[in-house]
Amino acid sequence: MTGTGVPAIACRNVWQVFGPNARKALDRALERSGGDVDSAARSLQQSGLIPAVRDASFEVGKGELFVVMGLSGSGKSTILRCIARLIEATSGEIALDGEDIARASKQRLTQLRREKMGMVFQHFGLFPHMTVAENVAYPLKVQGLDRARRRARAQEVISLVGLEGREGAFPRELSGGQRQRVGIARSLAVNPDIWFLDEPFSALDPLIRRQLQDEFLRIQGSLKKSIIFITHDIAEALKLADRIAIMRDGRIVQIGAPADIVLRPADDYVRAFSRDVAKGRHARVASVMQPVAQLAPGPDDPGLRADMTLDAALARCMALYQPVPVHDGQGRVIGAVNPADLAAALQVEEP
Amino acid sequence: MTAPSGQAPAPRVLTPGVRAALIVLLAGALSLALEPAFPWVVTWPAEWTLPATQWVGDGVGWLLGWLKPAARLFSDLLRYPMGWADLALGATPWPVVIGAVTAIGWYLGGLPMAALGFVGLSFVLASGYWSQSMNTLALVAVSVPLALIAGGVIGILANEFPRLKPPVQVVLDVMQTVPTFAYLTPLLILFGFGPVVGLIASAIYAAPPMARNVILGLERIESEIREAAVMSGAGRLRQLFEVEIPSASAQIMVGVNQSLMAALSMVIIAAVIGGFDDIGWEVLLTMRKAQFGQSLLAGLVIVVFAVVIDRMSGALATERRRHDPRIAYGLLGLAVGLAVVFGARLPEASGFDLLAPLADAVDRGLGEFTAANGDWLAGIKNGVMFFVLLPLRIGLDQAVLPFTWGFAWTPAMSGALFAAAALLCLVLVWRGRAMAGLMLLIGAGVLETGIANLPWPFVLVGAAALGWMAGGWRLAALSVGLLSTILLSGLWERALLSLYLSGAAVLACAVLGGLIGLWAALSPTVWRLVRPVCDMLQTIPLFVFLIPVLMFFQIGEFSAFLAICAYAVVPMIRYTRHGLISTPPELLEAAVASGATNWQILRDLRAPWAAPTILLGLNQTILYAFAMLVIAALIGTTGLGQSIYLALGRADVGLGLSAGAAMAILAFISDRLVQGFAAERRRALGL
Ligand SMILES: Nc1ncnc2c1ncn2[C@@H]1O[C@H](COP(=O)(O)OP(=O)(O)OP(=O)(O)O)[C@@H](O)[C@H]1O
Ligand SMILES: [Mg+2]
Repeated sequence: MTGTGVPAIACRNVWQVFGPNARKALDRALERSGGDVDSAARSLQQSGLIPAVRDASFEVGKGELFVVMGLSGSGKSTILRCIARLIEATSGEIALDGEDIARASKQRLTQLRREKMGMVFQHFGLFPHMTVAENVAYPLKVQGLDRARRRARAQEVISLVGLEGREGAFPRELSGGQRQRVGIARSLAVNPDIWFLDEPFSALDPLIRRQLQDEFLRIQGSLKKSIIFITHDIAEALKLADRIAIMRDGRIVQIGAPADIVLRPADDYVRAFSRDVAKGRHARVASVMQPVAQLAPGPDDPGLRADMTLDAALARCMALYQPVPVHDGQGRVIGAVNPADLAAALQVEEP
Repeated sequence: MTAPSGQAPAPRVLTPGVRAALIVLLAGALSLALEPAFPWVVTWPAEWTLPATQWVGDGVGWLLGWLKPAARLFSDLLRYPMGWADLALGATPWPVVIGAVTAIGWYLGGLPMAALGFVGLSFVLASGYWSQSMNTLALVAVSVPLALIAGGVIGILANEFPRLKPPVQVVLDVMQTVPTFAYLTPLLILFGFGPVVGLIASAIYAAPPMARNVILGLERIESEIREAAVMSGAGRLRQLFEVEIPSASAQIMVGVNQSLMAALSMVIIAAVIGGFDDIGWEVLLTMRKAQFGQSLLAGLVIVVFAVVIDRMSGALATERRRHDPRIAYGLLGLAVGLAVVFGARLPEASGFDLLAPLADAVDRGLGEFTAANGDWLAGIKNGVMFFVLLPLRIGLDQAVLPFTWGFAWTPAMSGALFAAAALLCLVLVWRGRAMAGLMLLIGAGVLETGIANLPWPFVLVGAAALGWMAGGWRLAALSVGLLSTILLSGLWERALLSLYLSGAAVLACAVLGGLIGLWAALSPTVWRLVRPVCDMLQTIPLFVFLIPVLMFFQIGEFSAFLAICAYAVVPMIRYTRHGLISTPPELLEAAVASGATNWQILRDLRAPWAAPTILLGLNQTILYAFAMLVIAALIGTTGLGQSIYLALGRADVGLGLSAGAAMAILAFISDRLVQGFAAERRRALGL
């Protein structure tokens, strides 16, 4: 976690169950199962309810970019909606900057949404009767900004996402990727501290996607927002994330740094996600390094550094079999690694 | 495939459907057998009826008495906007009205729409019905805004308070099944004679489509659009008015279109009660005087209005593109300029009667035509009456007379008919088609007895069986319960008469419309020809259908039958075609690949696939037929429609409302039954 102190977003034991009388049904199911999540979820399902999010707990630090991954229908969008309180979580606690969101009054919620939160929707959610500029400026209009300032700010974010010249277009006249960028611009218009992005780049072609990802990292580098970012694309997740959460059937099965997900998957489900990832390019030497006390380096020193990718490291010790030392930025030896471990970490698991 | 006779497939033959049919058959046979001993099996004795009509009349009368002062105040208030609209439309020089309509047409739909407006209104001017048309238009102009506001508010409230939605939907359903005339009687009591009744009736009649479409439009907004408004931090009112309603505008415009059409249609129908100088009244008057040329002309004026209003407001919903407003202003300016320049020298609008010679020619031509072809026209009419309608109505045993069929029906013939039907039934049962056999037997019984003479226990049992098969016990109980109220209220006979006429029309529409639909599905050329006709028939206000049938066949049941068919056949055609052409292409390819002929594909693949859609078409046809039945009462039908019409003439609220309710009950039950069967077919297809 990059932040300190109170987390920007904190979820504890959040459940979202769809269906009539969900709250009571959930309480009863949990009571009967003695708190066991899976069997409670199963009994809910049997009685026709949909437990879309099951007992999710995580924290997002200030300025952290937190990625949520999971198969379609695993509850990613739903948990985002709970946090934004677009739907009421069935149970559990959700706090934004330490403030319990479930207890916020209507006015406070509106205020929070106006000032603090921005959201990019999976299917864009653009207002069909407004032009690009009007769409982007709508949150500002709601805040009561005057026309000139609204227009200036809208123009600013529109150029940020590269849509200059299309201000007067209506959403139906735009391509999928352009619409997505309007959605991004709109969510940025009020300069939110907390930014929810639901598959923001999935409608884009690979080239634009890469460009926007880079742009996104740059924005994040300077603005340091607290972000929940949903994606299907493991490469995107590894590229952007400070930490990644993997969801399955409404549960969070693993939370960890990108290298953890790739190198130490909690189960086969997580492993399957990273199967096709070129791990050597994402994992760093630090993730397989051991203290010198446990692994005494041999005589050879191919000059490995802790922040090297596994690919680069392996290329340097192809012919070596003895443990080798690992240096930090200043050249000090901070650990050792066994070339065999390097190779093993890269092994693609066979089914 | 027939099962080998050794192992009798008894359990499979006795499907639930067959069992239900057997029970119905039994009920019918028992009733027939008991009839001589207990005549009350066929005719519900008068002393068993409850004076429900009376009660309804008293109850509503009492209520209306209470409401009257407020209603009168309201109607007095309404006189102002009506006066203004009348004045505005009546006093505006006709070039300006034509120019304005043309300009609106241009703005909404470019050149074609502008041309439509211009030509249409020029026709109205030439017809000499300008001032009557403007009166009608003034009524529409006042009633539609009322309807839109009321409908919009109801729709928004139903959307805001989800708990309100189900009851609101039920009320809207009921309002749309209750026949138009039935509205008029209580309004008549409340507001007295005069144009205000028509105005309010049309506002009431036109509000439900608006409410329905507002609800639908708001429901269908993508949830993310709604959520985006929430996340922007907008309050509820802003969400609603800045985001949700504009997002739903296309659907809401559909509501505006339907609302306009409903209002126009009702304003014209309302002429029945008021001697108010509008175009509907003109049609009625000329029709009564048998001036069919003039009547047709006035009818065409109505059609022109319907088409212009429908196409222009339809463009509101479908066309997003608006055309250059400068040209629209130009057109309007030109018209105003003309009016100013010519000023008093402009000829009076009502002075035009360019088309009067045409009307006279039509009258003369019609006279000559009917004189020359009277024989075969009468032949058609009598043929259908004697050989189809009468037997259906009173049964072969009464309809077959020396005067009609050339011989008298004897009980022996009944016996022979039943014997033949029973034999056929046995053959069918033996071939494993028990259901078809039983239906045949029941059909023979109905034909022998006549729908109007059906014993009530048979009808109730039949309705229960159908309800049970279409929707389970609840629907069965509902059907029987509702029908019993008709039985108890003493409207049973008239209800059966209505059932007979609409049943005959629906049957004819099903066959004819099915065939046309099939043909249109097979040949795009045919569809290109049929489609505009269908569009037209659906735009024309019901009233107008009466003119041509009257021209050729005079007043009577046959004319009513034709008018109903002409109006109700359209959905059958549309849905049949649509169902048949929307078979998934991969299914067709699979069939072609396995070597099926076109005919086999049609029979084995397309027809079953289309069945649910066709059933929905049938459902629409039934509802259309009921709607027209009431209007057709104007030209001579018996049954509930006639009662409603009579009640209107006598200002008898009890009879009017009860008969209207009975009509609504019949429509409601048929609707639920057919919908149930359609849903079952869809389930069977896995849709
Ligand atoms: N309003 C709702 N009512 C009932 N069930 C819902 C509702 N919204 C979501 N669900 C169900 O909750 C589950 C999770 O849905 P969710 O939209 O969160 O999936 P997701 O992970 O975002 O999937 P995708 O990647 O396809 O967007 C699904 O099974 C879905 O059917
Ligand atoms: Mg999603």
